[in-house]
Amino acid sequence: MANTVKTFRLALNMASKSIGRRKFRAALTILGIIIGITTIVSLMSIGYGMQTEVGSALSDMLGAGITISSGGMGGMSANIPEYVRDYVLQVPGVKDCVPVITTMMEVGGSQTMVIGIDPDQAQSLYHVTLSEGRLPRRGEDYSVVIGVSMAERLGVHVNDTITLSSTMGGVGNTFTVVGILRSVGSSGISIGCFISLQAAQSLLKKEGYVSTLLVVLNDPSQATYVEHSLKQLFPEASVSSQEAILSQVNNILNIVTGVLLALGAISLAVGAIGVMNTITMSVYERTREIGMMKAVGGERSHILLIFLSEAAIIGLIGGCAGNVLGLLMVYVIKLFASTIGLPFTIPLVISPTIIAAAMILSLAISVIAGLYPSWKATNIRPVEVLRYE
Amino acid sequence: MSRAVELHNVSKVYVLGEGVKVEARRGVDLNVEKGELLSIMGPSGSGKSTLLNMIGGLDNPTSGRVIVDGIDITGMGEGELARFRRESVGFVFQFFNLVPILTALENVELPIIFEGKLSSGETRERASDLLRLVGLGERMNHRPSQMSGGEQQRVAIARALANDPSIVIADEPTGNVDRETGSKILRFIQHLNKTLGQTFILVTHDPTVSQASQRIVYMLDGRIILEPPKSVETPSKQALIEERRQLMLAELGWLRNSLIRLEESRDSMEIELYNQLRAGYASKLESLKQAIRGSQEVS
Repeated sequence: MANTVKTFRLALNMASKSIGRRKFRAALTILGIIIGITTIVSLMSIGYGMQTEVGSALSDMLGAGITISSGGMGGMSANIPEYVRDYVLQVPGVKDCVPVITTMMEVGGSQTMVIGIDPDQAQSLYHVTLSEGRLPRRGEDYSVVIGVSMAERLGVHVNDTITLSSTMGGVGNTFTVVGILRSVGSSGISIGCFISLQAAQSLLKKEGYVSTLLVVLNDPSQATYVEHSLKQLFPEASVSSQEAILSQVNNILNIVTGVLLALGAISLAVGAIGVMNTITMSVYERTREIGMMKAVGGERSHILLIFLSEAAIIGLIGGCAGNVLGLLMVYVIKLFASTIGLPFTIPLVISPTIIAAAMILSLAISVIAGLYPSWKATNIRPVEVLRYE
Repeated sequence: MSRAVELHNVSKVYVLGEGVKVEARRGVDLNVEKGELLSIMGPSGSGKSTLLNMIGGLDNPTSGRVIVDGIDITGMGEGELARFRRESVGFVFQFFNLVPILTALENVELPIIFEGKLSSGETRERASDLLRLVGLGERMNHRPSQMSGGEQQRVAIARALANDPSIVIADEPTGNVDRETGSKILRFIQHLNKTLGQTFILVTHDPTVSQASQRIVYMLDGRIILEPPKSVETPSKQALIEERRQLMLAELGWLRNSLIRLEESRDSMEIELYNQLRAGYASKLESLKQAIRGSQEVS
């Protein structure tokens, strides 16, 4: 309908001029929407990115089908005797069992994750890719491979030395950097350090003990059966299959994303109240104008369209700016995370779904918030407002 | 051929608060012929504006029938009235009532867009033609704030003519401009009336406005009190002042009556409404008294 198009153009023209007339107020209102959309976009992007990336990283990293770890301290305390490995190897369906120490250690004033593992196994289980140098060789107890971000932060290169010390205190040992880690698995994650199992044990003063046993299966489909057998064999240890870990991690990430989303929703609700307030003020200021437009033949639908357009423009600008700022925020958080040396990187995922959803959300929330004041505007009676100045 | 306006026994009762009724119009009959230029005069509160609003389809009468250009608008609903207003009526207001954020051209386009029959190009063309007709061809892209009162009122007249209405009704069209501009606007209305045959109904306090019209209708307390034929000779200045004074005195009487009625119904209405009305009446009374005193000094 051409008529609708013309009315729409008129409504947009009036709405943009009305916003232009009260620039500061409109800017504040738009800011309210921007804050909400920025929060939602950045949090969703981070949550979404973490979920996809952490998931794939985990499945790459845990080349093993099942992990056995001592309970407590998040499986990081090394109190499984190394000889347990021999019993595990007896369990039908088990192809190999690799002893590992996973622990947090201090290096250059901050904590990092250190994995102590037989160098040959590191390659096959963790799918390690190096950007420089090599993995430690058997018998090289004081060699280390460090992540590329850590290397940059500490300013070390291959053949330099770093000092690793237990977070529990103690003197620590000097290690020679033999390789720089680019990535673990197919993800962009470059976690802390790899050292030999013996070196890790002596650093923790836990000779003969490990924190985790990685169990490699003959056939992945036997995971449940093997897991069951292992649980019966070692009732006090925590035995979990890779799938269970993945779903657990996903659960946690889902909760985190949900909480973040709720926060975003609250800030957006505040923004919506701002829109409602602005449209109410606009209607109030333009009472005479509305009465006049109705007098010269404007119908309710015309008036409704004019004010809803104002809300829609606010929503549109807020949505665009919110999207841009939100993605910028993800970038800043990513940068921040890598400079303070967090043991993981946040992937910057620009998801078209999130961007489109944020645009629609911003537009819909603004229009809905503008509905009530706009509807009130349509109830203005020309006779009552036109008579006196 | 149907008349431009026919009013049959039209009355309007305002319900103010609970049980308080104010009769603004009492059983009025009035006919306006096509091409006529009619003035309605009377003190404020006499029901002129109410009458005008009912003719223009802005207000519904409590009883009686309003027929404009052969169409009975008495029982029309809100949507139908809106369409009627934009197709058949042009409005000119005392305070111009232009949309401040729109240019002169856009203001004139407004009713044409609401009507929706012309294309964008035709709309623009029609609005430009009308602005040229009112002598504002050079000021089309100015906003109301950049124009004088007289110019704004001419934009309002162009807007009133936008959809080629059967009648143009103007409530105090010269009430908010200086004398000279007022008489220019008046001459312009006369000109449009003669050249286009456009029917005008004016409400005014200004005797010079009413003189310019073919017929004057006087109103007092919701009634049409006399319909004198247009006098041939121009009344003297003294007579004009005296006429004004009489009108003001009539208004004074109306105000006093209103106050008495208000006092009578004080117990049956909300105190806030009562206070508001009372304050309104009182301030009006005060300014009226001063105006009357002023006119006595002159005479």
